[in-house]
Amino acid sequence: MNVPAPQTPLPVAQSPGRAAAGLGITALLVTAALNWQHLAWWCLPLLVLASALHYRATLRGQALPGTVARLGLALILTAGVLASFRTLNGLAAGTTLLAAMTAAKLFEARAVRDWYVIVGATLFLLLAACLDRQQLWRLPLYAFSLWLSVAALRGLGGGAPQGAPTLLRESARQLLYALPLAIVLFLFFPRLPGAFWSLSSDDSAITGLADQMSPGSIAQLTESDEPALRARFEAELPPVQERYWRGPVLHDFDGFTWRRHRGVPAAPNAVKFRGTAYRYSLTLEPNSHRTVVALELANPAGAPFAQFTDDFQLISRRPLTEPQAFELSSYPQAQRGGELSGEARRIDLARPEDRNPRARELALRLRASAADDDAFVVSVLNYLRDGGFVYTLAPQRLGRDSVDDLLFRTREGFCGHYASAFVDLMREGGVPARVVTGYLGGVWNPIGGYLLVRQADAHAWAEVWLAGRGWVRADPTAMVAPERLNRELLQFGAGTAGSALHLGAASHWITTLLQSWDALNAWWQDEVVGFNFARQLNLADWLGFGDRDWQTLAIALGAGMAAWLLWIAWSLRRIAGPKRPDALERAWRRIDRRVRRAGHPRAPPEGVIDYCARLARTQPAAAAALAPLARRYALLRYGPPVPAAELRAFGLEARRFRFPRG
Amino acid sequence: MYAALRDRFTARVAAWARRRQGLDEPPLILQSRRLYILPTAPGLSFGLLLFVMLIAGLNYTNSLALLLTFVLAAFVLVGMHECQRTLNGLELVLAQAADCYAGTEGLVELRFVNRSAQGRRALAVRSPGTRASHFDLDAGAQITVQLPFQAMRRGRQRIERLELASTAPFGLFRCWTWLHLPLEAIVYPQPLGTRPLPRGGESRSSLESRASSPAEEEWTSLRHYQPGDSPRSIAWKAWARGAPLMVAQYQGTGGSEHLLSFAGLEGLGLDARLSQLCAWVQDCARHDAACALQLPGVELPLGRGPAHRTSLLRALALYGSGAA
Repeated sequence: MNVPAPQTPLPVAQSPGRAAAGLGITALLVTAALNWQHLAWWCLPLLVLASALHYRATLRGQALPGTVARLGLALILTAGVLASFRTLNGLAAGTTLLAAMTAAKLFEARAVRDWYVIVGATLFLLLAACLDRQQLWRLPLYAFSLWLSVAALRGLGGGAPQGAPTLLRESARQLLYALPLAIVLFLFFPRLPGAFWSLSSDDSAITGLADQMSPGSIAQLTESDEPALRARFEAELPPVQERYWRGPVLHDFDGFTWRRHRGVPAAPNAVKFRGTAYRYSLTLEPNSHRTVVALELANPAGAPFAQFTDDFQLISRRPLTEPQAFELSSYPQAQRGGELSGEARRIDLARPEDRNPRARELALRLRASAADDDAFVVSVLNYLRDGGFVYTLAPQRLGRDSVDDLLFRTREGFCGHYASAFVDLMREGGVPARVVTGYLGGVWNPIGGYLLVRQADAHAWAEVWLAGRGWVRADPTAMVAPERLNRELLQFGAGTAGSALHLGAASHWITTLLQSWDALNAWWQDEVVGFNFARQLNLADWLGFGDRDWQTLAIALGAGMAAWLLWIAWSLRRIAGPKRPDALERAWRRIDRRVRRAGHPRAPPEGVIDYCARLARTQPAAAAALAPLARRYALLRYGPPVPAAELRAFGLEARRFRFPRG
Repeated sequence: MYAALRDRFTARVAAWARRRQGLDEPPLILQSRRLYILPTAPGLSFGLLLFVMLIAGLNYTNSLALLLTFVLAAFVLVGMHECQRTLNGLELVLAQAADCYAGTEGLVELRFVNRSAQGRRALAVRSPGTRASHFDLDAGAQITVQLPFQAMRRGRQRIERLELASTAPFGLFRCWTWLHLPLEAIVYPQPLGTRPLPRGGESRSSLESRASSPAEEEWTSLRHYQPGDSPRSIAWKAWARGAPLMVAQYQGTGGSEHLLSFAGLEGLGLDARLSQLCAWVQDCARHDAACALQLPGVELPLGRGPAHRTSLLRALALYGSGAA
């Protein structure tokens, strides 16, 4: 029997230990840093300052500011948020306000209660970060912040203050216990198919396609490797020359900028979906223009989530503020449109009269020498091909008459420039035309099994109306820079991914690494971030629950939670329950049971040797059998350490012991 | 109104728990059957926070926010189990209450043993209406906790109910149990009274001079302070030097003998008489004088020393309760 060591009682602690406070402040700073993209610029410095002042005050035992000073500070901070955002609403302003008020709270944080408030605010800031950004690379950072927060929370439970390593270790263990239940809840807690309300989105600065285009104002187009969309095809991939992903269609031109047309008139735009159909699931990164960027030309019949416009765009019914998955089928050879209404013709022929006079001259000249619309289109394309135009991502800026400037002065530009000029020339020549923006290309990721389209693949082309054929795609950039289209082909052929292209063929493993990373991102985006009610029902189906409804989810949820509760009760009992007796103790207990059953129990405080001595007086035979065992027990228990084999041998002998009768 | 309702509710719950659990007898191992657990005020606020997070995650159909919420919720649930584990299996091996004077705080001593391989933290034990004693217990450790109880009235005082609680590990949940131990303290009368100590038969001492100036010149021994000792007899100088509170004991009064008689205190009520007698017993003990006690129906012969003093005080405490 081991004698427990005595301990002394504690005084009552009113404030948390230094370790808990330190963890709390670190968690707050890390979490605020994770929100950097939408916090006001002054918010992080304020938090750092407040933490420093808090430390100084507590280390020196100085008084913290009084009530009036704190109220004043709160008012100033609110005013600061208003000055930065003009509102207190929305994710950015709300997060900034919360972070600023938490900084103010640091000035008065003494009692345990104040620290609960600070940890709660930290967790809320973490929620804001999760709501805003869900990229995979952020996940470890979020997990780290969560770990720090719960470790701080653990320091608030009372008892003697514990060190930060203990708090971190214990909370890590606890997080591991929590994870299975979190996964069960994640999979089966019924989601809502839609939102009950939505915050005004203040996040319009998303890279990629915009809903307007002014190529003349861009001096340098930066290629971004950010993903734009991923598509998993059910069967074969579309050929490279058909990988046009249709985004916003631009109609209105003021001589410099192309814009979408508000309220395109509803005209019967019979699309004949014919030719090869490609079925695929599309995961689209967020955009601000609500267009579901799909392979040309998506059939709206299978897309109830979007509205099919007369210029063949799929406009999502919900804002695309986060990555979303869509099931689509597209027909690249579809025939687009039968009749063009007068109103639509007017819109797509409109051209500012007082702009780009030289372009008008050129268009009229080419038009005069062309027999019909088809010939006119060909002659303009030929003009662009043979006119000495250069494809560059760093063009000179264009003036007010951007088309004239491009055609007759700079003669350099990228897809936007040429699409703009081409459509302008078409309209002047009397052919209805419009600019289509979107993406061209896509790189096959063999690890993830999908086609990846990056923001760098953004493209602009044109559509012209030809009587009898409907809307026909014309890509003037292909005339100027055929290699722009071939690039995708090259990449596809060499099996390299995006940014690895310029690293050369020797860096094959880097390519594999990049592809794996992107595949992992795709999995994260599809399976975790994109997990929704429909997927939940599919999961319930897959588990064989039969009906696809709320009840099956509830049953799965209940079963999962019950299993977890059993598991947690069992594992905590193992940890916190009474110590399990060791092998030696168990062996002797077996002997104890036998002698008790034989009617000669050992008294609880009696040592085994003493017991044998007592037994020898009444049961000499039994005592003789037991005495060697008792001596060995004493030696094993109190003597020097022995090999495990000897312990096992003793256990076997104890098992063989029988109380002799008579 | 609200307080009255709450008190009635508390009394109901206490009675229910008493019926349910029965009387406890140490040694006692706390089993989960008798452990109760509820969220604390921060726990309720945290629950509200989780609810808001859940609504936000559901509303924006944001999987990551939901994952965060679920991890936190599961984490708190693990904490709830851990909170219950803090008490579950804890062993109470000893419980006793010391005698004390009415109107003071008595002390209950409890010894807990933690036989598990895991420490137990943020434990607190208290008797209703008094402050709690806080303690932690490492793996395999034991502790003796002293906790005060309010000694109200002279006589036997049962300490019906103790509350043992823990808020580990977060303070979001509080797990507690009620201990109904056979704890009985004997509460002496309050030592009060202004009448001079009656001179015993053949006293030879200069008791008055002692009583008027118990200077620190002639004490022969020091003993530890006990509740009820006169502040005048405390060795303040020794205390100022950092020693614990000690009481000076004087020589030379050993010869005096006093008859402390209930009947001799005319003009006082019962409790006032007992209080006066109690004060006299203290005086005698302080001066190591021999004394005898005469109560109606009870007579205690002359004697001295701590055991004698205790028997006198107990006689005073229990006088009239029928169980002297």
